[in-house]
Amino acid sequence: MTKYLVLSAILFSIGVYGVLARRNLLIIIMSVELMLNGVNIALAAFSRMFVELDGQVFVLMVMAVAAAEVAVGLAIVVALFRNKETVDTGDLTSLKG
Amino acid sequence: MASDLAFYIAAGVAVLSAMLVVTRRNPVYGAICLIVCFVAVAAIFLHLAAPFVAAAQVIVYAGAIIVLFLFVVMLLNLRPEEYGKGIPAGKRFFMALVAAGVLLSIAIPLLTMGDLDLRQVPEGMGSVEGVGKILFADYVLPFELVSLLIIAVVIGVVVLAGKGNRSSESGEGGGQ
Repeated sequence: MTKYLVLSAILFSIGVYGVLARRNLLIIIMSVELMLNGVNIALAAFSRMFVELDGQVFVLMVMAVAAAEVAVGLAIVVALFRNKETVDTGDLTSLKG
Repeated sequence: MASDLAFYIAAGVAVLSAMLVVTRRNPVYGAICLIVCFVAVAAIFLHLAAPFVAAAQVIVYAGAIIVLFLFVVMLLNLRPEEYGKGIPAGKRFFMALVAAGVLLSIAIPLLTMGDLDLRQVPEGMGSVEGVGKILFADYVLPFELVSLLIIAVVIGVVVLAGKGNRSSESGEGGGQ
């Protein structure tokens, strides 16, 4: 059982690294998806441990929310690219100081 | 045991492809590696007596979310010099330490706790019928709220990325 939770933690921390250490906005959104997948594995593992299906229903809800969030995030990327011609978060400084 | 080996293969593929995702400069390569990761995670779900969730993972994540990603990446049509400059190596190492800190803060209490035993699952746990029964009986309210969420997302996406949002074009924009 711990091996599933350790795998979930590994995927989550790889996603954390991707969000922190990359500047390409598309890669950042993909890393958020990695984090969500890690959490899904943990939820499914606990659902298996307690032999209840509630965890799996939660996983389905997380998947639906992730899909919605990716759609809106990519719409923001498209709108941003139209106005600024960049997906590099280092160039997005108009709110700075 | 054979199922242990299958788990370790699937877990290894998932971790390896995840590491590839966060290190690719080209977002198309990142998306392809992410597909591999999602399929490996679906295999993990099969180990966890969740066949319906595994199918949903492939259909929703690998089949819809990544396809949407690839649409947008192809639409943006980035040249290699537009991928974005990287973060300097010192800061990247520090971020790797932060991520390792997150991992250890979860993994160390887990590993020192001793293994939790898994009971036998009843036949057909996680089947379509089982998940459907609980989804439409106990969790029908979250289900309907998710449909509301999707309507809101559709409206938001049309507003954000639709036609009236170009500030660089002089003719139209806002006056539709």
